[in-house]
Amino acid sequence: MKFQLVFPKWRKLEGQTTFNLPPHGAIVFAATIPDYVEVEFIDENLEEMRFDDDVDFVGISMLLTTQVKRGWAIADEYRKRGKKVIFGGISTMLHAEETMLHADAVFLGEAEGHMEQVFKDFRNGELKKVYNHMNDLPPIEIVGPARRELYKRDLYYHKGVQMVDLFHASRGCKYSCYPCAVSYLGGRQFRPRPIDKVVEDLATIDNNRLFIVDNSLAQDTQWEKDLFKAMIPFKKKWMSHTIEDKPEVLDLAAQAGAWYVYQAVFDTSDYIKERVKRYHDYGIGVEGTILLGLDNQTEDDIKRLVDFLLEIDLDLAEFTVLAPFPHTKAYSDLIKQDRIFNKNWDDYNAGQVVYHPKHMTAERLQEMYQYAWDTFYKDETQEEKMFKLLKSVVSREVEDGTFRKRRQDLSKTSFGKDVKHKIA
Amino acid sequence: METIINKYQDQVYHFKGLWDIPSICGLKIVNKKENTIVIATDLFEENPGTSITEWNTKLAKELCDKFEIDYRKLIYIEHTPDKKTKLSFNLESFYKVNFQILNDKFENPKWEEMSKEEVNNLITE
Repeated sequence: MKFQLVFPKWRKLEGQTTFNLPPHGAIVFAATIPDYVEVEFIDENLEEMRFDDDVDFVGISMLLTTQVKRGWAIADEYRKRGKKVIFGGISTMLHAEETMLHADAVFLGEAEGHMEQVFKDFRNGELKKVYNHMNDLPPIEIVGPARRELYKRDLYYHKGVQMVDLFHASRGCKYSCYPCAVSYLGGRQFRPRPIDKVVEDLATIDNNRLFIVDNSLAQDTQWEKDLFKAMIPFKKKWMSHTIEDKPEVLDLAAQAGAWYVYQAVFDTSDYIKERVKRYHDYGIGVEGTILLGLDNQTEDDIKRLVDFLLEIDLDLAEFTVLAPFPHTKAYSDLIKQDRIFNKNWDDYNAGQVVYHPKHMTAERLQEMYQYAWDTFYKDETQEEKMFKLLKSVVSREVEDGTFRKRRQDLSKTSFGKDVKHKIA
Repeated sequence: METIINKYQDQVYHFKGLWDIPSICGLKIVNKKENTIVIATDLFEENPGTSITEWNTKLAKELCDKFEIDYRKLIYIEHTPDKKTKLSFNLESFYKVNFQILNDKFENPKWEEMSKEEVNNLITE
């Protein structure tokens, strides 16, 4: 049986450096599909769709809200051709009712332990409209290595440099942050993977650089330390969301190859300043993630925040505007206050203002978002700052013998396409 | 689980939320001569399921049916307690929710913010 697994494309944010990273959720899901199924993966960000391929069943894996309308359009095309389509993934869960209108089946929840039944139902012509496992999370121990062999690897290179591989060591998050939907997605409980399972998965990754995509690793100190200890022998370099800033954790993280971490910066406090310094003291870079447009921010606050970011020596900064994703407190609050004016999911990309902010107009917030990017990168562009970070990791790789040279055969391509040289 | 019983909450109410997920909210019902005031409190991290705001049309109907509340006398209030952070969007809030009731179904919720004093007056007067 042939199963075509599709990751729909989305419109990238204007004016920002775009990197196409190999999608993670889709290949983690693929690992749960029965062995008798032949899986082919299409990442539409990098490949053309092939609606007329000879396949039996189609899966659409959706991660982002800004992807859903394209996912629905893809499903409509396949279904016109008589193919059955099942949807899964985070944004399928966030937009389940709307997705059902374009699907033969939607899968809600985590796939481990359930796909034998889904494929059996498909073969028997008994596919259910909804597979609801939102309240039925699998034991974390059964989460196996992702099926990385499904990637068309050469597509994930920019001028010969391989993009990082995405990887997860845990699921869920014990925090419930204002703009985040993780708690709705079944994640109120932090579920760390057993270290031996993490090691098994890591061993399958032929890439010396990783992005650990867990919501936050800073949720269980002992597990976090055990994880970093287990990672040391792999000599991989990695970025991740927040890690704890206790000296013993940072020391192990640095030994385990921590390259840089994301740090939410929400105010101009000494707490943030000192935290960034602590990371730097251990040779770990910091990319600030800054959410603009919260109800406690005025224009002056945003300006002060940007000045502060420049003072604290962040390696990179990523600015977003609040996107009220369904099933978040932000969404509930703004709906109650009748402040959402744009329900076009294509625009929920965290770069476009879709609601009326409290202390300024939507247009002004859009300008402040641009101001933040422009001001932070005025003296040194995003590419230059990224290059500095890359240089730092290359030095460490050269030191420990893990550096891989740029692939010459791909040096004139970027994500599968020829690089166009500008002629003066 | 530590759920605080307070002025706006006499019990923890269990309901099936979206996709039948077990969910909870705080609940206070005050019967007055002219109307019945229902306060549903968001329990945030303690609630494993759907929020009261997302589920209010179903929840309000369920509460009316279960506690034999006359729809026409219902004053339905959503309460979000102070999350004790420095962030303004985590402060306590009260919203009266007005529903259209069509064919025994609650639809088209519209929220109207209330002050704490207004709520206090309503439940004590």
